[in-house]
Amino acid sequence: MSQNRWLATGNFFTFYKEEQRTFFTHLDRTVFTCFLVILFGWPLVFEISNKYMLVLDNILIAIVAVMGLNLLLGFAGLISIGHAAFVGIGAYTLASFSQVIGDNHMIITHFWPVLIVCAGIMGAIFGAFVGLPALRLKHLYLAIATLSFQMIFEWVIQFMSFFNQGQTIYLGRVHWFTGEVGRNEHYVFWYYVILTLVVAMGFGVRNLLKTKYGRCLVAVRDNDRAADAMGMNPGLTKVYAFALAGFFAGVAGALHAYLYRGVGFESFTLHASVGYLAMAIVGGLGTLNGIFWGPVAIKFLDLQVEQFSELAGRYLTSAPNVATALKPLSFGLVIVLFLMYEPRGIANWWRIVKSYTKLWPFRY
Amino acid sequence: MSYFFQIIVSGIVVGSIYALAALGLVLVYKSSRVANFAHGQIIAGGAFITFFLTVRLGIPIFFSFLASMLITFFLAMSVERIFLRRLIGEPIISVIMVTIGLASIFDGLIYLTPFGSENFSFPTFLPTESIVVGGVSISWTQLVGVIITFVLIGGFSWFFKKSTVGISMRAVSDDQFGAMSVGISVPRVFGLAWATAGLSAAAAGCIIGNITGLNFETLHAFGIVVFPVVILGGLDSILGAVVAGIIMGLIQQFASGYLDGNFGLNGTGDVMPYIILLIILLFKPHGLFGIHEIERV
Repeated sequence: MSQNRWLATGNFFTFYKEEQRTFFTHLDRTVFTCFLVILFGWPLVFEISNKYMLVLDNILIAIVAVMGLNLLLGFAGLISIGHAAFVGIGAYTLASFSQVIGDNHMIITHFWPVLIVCAGIMGAIFGAFVGLPALRLKHLYLAIATLSFQMIFEWVIQFMSFFNQGQTIYLGRVHWFTGEVGRNEHYVFWYYVILTLVVAMGFGVRNLLKTKYGRCLVAVRDNDRAADAMGMNPGLTKVYAFALAGFFAGVAGALHAYLYRGVGFESFTLHASVGYLAMAIVGGLGTLNGIFWGPVAIKFLDLQVEQFSELAGRYLTSAPNVATALKPLSFGLVIVLFLMYEPRGIANWWRIVKSYTKLWPFRY
Repeated sequence: MSYFFQIIVSGIVVGSIYALAALGLVLVYKSSRVANFAHGQIIAGGAFITFFLTVRLGIPIFFSFLASMLITFFLAMSVERIFLRRLIGEPIISVIMVTIGLASIFDGLIYLTPFGSENFSFPTFLPTESIVVGGVSISWTQLVGVIITFVLIGGFSWFFKKSTVGISMRAVSDDQFGAMSVGISVPRVFGLAWATAGLSAAAAGCIIGNITGLNFETLHAFGIVVFPVVILGGLDSILGAVVAGIIMGLIQQFASGYLDGNFGLNGTGDVMPYIILLIILLFKPHGLFGIHEIERV
């Protein structure tokens, strides 16, 4: 078959196997590889201040969390307003280790990959547990059930002395093969760890959606009774979607805890949950590249607003607190405007650009 | 024993405020099937407008109360007109997220004013000493607040039962196409539902502000706490909102009165509504008075 393996003007699949490929054309593969090389290489070439590295790390962690939320909300159609609580479960798994065995114990500093997986599993267990109401509830009721989980989580953290009443619980510095990761390379080190995880998980999600289990999620979203009639188990699928989302969130929480070397209550409030929802929606629900666009867009907006309000604060000395006002204002405006004018998110712009360039310059 | 009755009294006070706050949510949900997550911000807005009119402009509190109700009436109506009317027929997550986004916008707008960060309290216009009956005390503000609440709830019930607009609202909530076919303008009814919700929110805000003082955090927290209330009562029942509001107030006060300090627990009053909410959602998701929706493929 003499097909152009670099550029394809459409889908010419003749086997199911072809549709399951990760990259459809050589161009896709090349672009992706170049992109990865840039992502992995540029901290080696450029000197980046810790402040911006932290922003990048935050974006990557948000991508991990939003991956779970997008699976849950975009692909399985289950609304969750408690995603930050799942992230918190992951972080507080580490915090409870730190409380029990001490923050510089070898398990925490040396076996951190095990602990990250552990936090993910903990998140998955809680996710499955919270997903139980999803067997009976739909839409708004489910949203409110997850909201109440969020509130109960906040209360448990704030009023239990084991969790230090929401005050920061510290974690020790982790070790790598070369020894302890010091203050200077801390953010770069976690950049690489999280980036590797994001790439691995991204492939995981992409492949999952091509298997029976992933298609099951979409089928249940579209019509759970029809899915039932087709021989799927909607109840199990819903609980497993919640568990999956909980796993991603738990991993994100563990990474957050290690990145900040401590677990504090204020990163896992209802406000953070709304932030994750906004990232998922702005990126584009039910799309794979939306997972990456959303967090980048929202965090970038945050950064811009911060800089702008710093600038404004210099000139308007009387203004009470421009930053606290502008952040929710811009955030809310972005959500509302996206929902009103581009409900399919940034991923849709990407799709438009892609479909335009596919046939370019021969448009007819 | 007087401790017990004291808790009952304060439970009824808190509960009637919940009922009034929940009323707005029920009104909107009943007609347009939108759960308004920005309700707390409208409550706070109403309270701050009243405060501004009374203290900064020196209008008597009764008139500024009415004026702020009128202002939020039009504010909520325009919110519906600008943002939510475009979203009729969109998936539920879009609608929920738009109201969450609106809540965020209102947050930002209120933080721009001095009201966002500072504490204020209404000037006292009622006797400050409490009424004590058999060891149970209730302050004048609380008593007047409860009375106003019940008058307002009675007024709203009458409005829904008897007035033409109220009947058309009930018709829309029952069957939109049926309502259209008898000449009711459905979008107008949606706008009116939001407007009345804004009106009741302003009233609730003023009463809360008078009882607890004006603090943005506590005021907008009401927007989330009313969700357990409306779920307990059934999302589309006004009677349910009232009954559930009082039940929730009592539960909260009993929890904080008897559980806090014992068994190493603290702040149970804040979390109890959500625990109750989860239990209700598991066993009786449509609440005490809600209509059970039957879904067909």
